[in-house]
Amino acid sequence: MMSITHLFLFGALVKYIMGVGNYSMFDDSIGIKVVEEITAKNLDQGFSAIDLSGNLLNIFSYLNEGTEKIIIVDSGEFEITPGEFIWFTPDLVVSTKELTNITSHEGDIIKVLKLAMETGYHLPPIQIMGIQPECIKSEFGLSKTLESNLARYLQVVISKILED
Amino acid sequence: MKKDINVNVHHLTRVEGHGNIVVNIKNGNIEKCEWQVPEAPRFFEAMVRERHYSEVQRITSRICGICSVGHTLAAVKAIEDALGIQVTPQTNKLRRILKHAENFDSHVLHIGVLVAPDLLGAPSVFPLVATHGEVVKLVLRLKRLGHEWGSLLAGRTTHPTTCVPGGFSKIPTKNELVALKEKIIANVDGINALVETVLSLAGKIPDFNRPTEYMAVSNDMEYGMYLGPTVQTIMPDGTKQKYDVHDYRKITNEYVNPRSTAKYCKNKLDCYAAGALARFNNNYDQLYPQAKKIAQALGMKPVCGNPFLNSAAQLIECAHSVYETLDLIEELLVDGIKDEPLVPPKRFGTGASAVEVPRGILFHEYSFDKEGFCTAGNCIIPTGQNHANIQKDFEALVPILIQQDKNEQEMELALSMLVRAYDPCISCSTHYLKVKFVK
Repeated sequence: MMSITHLFLFGALVKYIMGVGNYSMFDDSIGIKVVEEITAKNLDQGFSAIDLSGNLLNIFSYLNEGTEKIIIVDSGEFEITPGEFIWFTPDLVVSTKELTNITSHEGDIIKVLKLAMETGYHLPPIQIMGIQPECIKSEFGLSKTLESNLARYLQVVISKILED
Repeated sequence: MKKDINVNVHHLTRVEGHGNIVVNIKNGNIEKCEWQVPEAPRFFEAMVRERHYSEVQRITSRICGICSVGHTLAAVKAIEDALGIQVTPQTNKLRRILKHAENFDSHVLHIGVLVAPDLLGAPSVFPLVATHGEVVKLVLRLKRLGHEWGSLLAGRTTHPTTCVPGGFSKIPTKNELVALKEKIIANVDGINALVETVLSLAGKIPDFNRPTEYMAVSNDMEYGMYLGPTVQTIMPDGTKQKYDVHDYRKITNEYVNPRSTAKYCKNKLDCYAAGALARFNNNYDQLYPQAKKIAQALGMKPVCGNPFLNSAAQLIECAHSVYETLDLIEELLVDGIKDEPLVPPKRFGTGASAVEVPRGILFHEYSFDKEGFCTAGNCIIPTGQNHANIQKDFEALVPILIQQDKNEQEMELALSMLVRAYDPCISCSTHYLKVKFVK
């Protein structure tokens, strides 16, 4: 695994899978759980897995010429069956979330990437895996629907990041 | 002028979590003036029960994404206190650098992204890209430095992995420390530029003074951030008093208030303040000279009773963190950074700690059974300690705003700015995406 330390010292070209969400808000934690599972199973070969959690502005550390590709895994309202997911790129959507601003609790990754573009950051190819949650509530864990799909998410996201 | 004013801010923006401002004035008389916190409890203290001591800090770090380093450090310190572990001087130095990274990172975010829009007359940071693009770029650059600074020490700044009871599971190499030092030095010009920006806007910070008690970590060796274990308070007349951290319940005195789902705290007065201004007031003498110089330029000296200047105190602390970190790195390089085994437990009992997180003093306490499993936990977060103080500020500020004949909009802005100045972290919500496809 190439850590930020490696990036810090050598600036190598790296691919990243990043998990976004809130660990204590049930299915909202799915992005973090995907990254956690990748790391726990040592599946991060040929890419680095990053837990961004809610500290979305930290993505700026990876928006540079040294980054080849980023996949962000996040939960969201996509009007699809809970547990299913869709792929999209940031330019395909606009955020319609109310209260949207940049704090660790109000922000969303779409707004942060827009800010990055507007302030001249180098944006590598970014794809978002948006997973439809079944339940968002103040509790650790995942719904049975998302839990039973976790292995599938891992397989799909790893295949995607390793694509040329 | 006797008029009717109704301020009803439901879910104040640019703060962490949810809080409401409700002010009702009828014919010039204040009928209601409240800072309300409607968040539900999250029961982290219950989640750590029956967990092994090696797991506790990983759970409590999830209390907050911004202060996860602070929650990790407070937890490992309390665990080490309970287990009779004394960490090495090298561990303490690395942890102090890590603590500075978190404060720097969070302070830059607060000053540049959450407070600056008020001072520059914008609703959020986004419109500032067009009007003050260079300032936004500067803030993002410094925020990035804070993240990389902390990640080097902790594995990652959001929910650290390497900081564990007894020491570090992984430490930076000599080359990595040298690289960090060079990176910080390369950004000193940016910090100076941020100081200049804030100085140019200082006139827009409201002039308001309400004497209160200030509480912060204290230690003879540092501007109280990490080491402790003493807690100090300073009264408006400058009188200081020290307390042992194990007596933290006697100085926080949590109680329930119907306005808030979070408990209120008080010590000698009916409220006290925690945060950068509390640290500044308590520990001013231990600030680095470069930080004191900024305080002088801002006209700040202890005991400062203007809560709006908490953000200015954060800026002063940014400079302090930079220069103390450079010195700590130098000491580590001179001593030679070396792998050290984790210090094992000597006993299993109860321990407490206090660490300064960006928003103020944070208390953790844990008890463990003879197998090392947690039997009880208690966390008192700084924003909870500040709620009563914010309420008292409201009660003092609103009559002044009435006297100044402020209209509804101006009053709402002043009260919102006041709450934001505390940089409150009320609780957690979600980052759930809600998007519309446009292509």
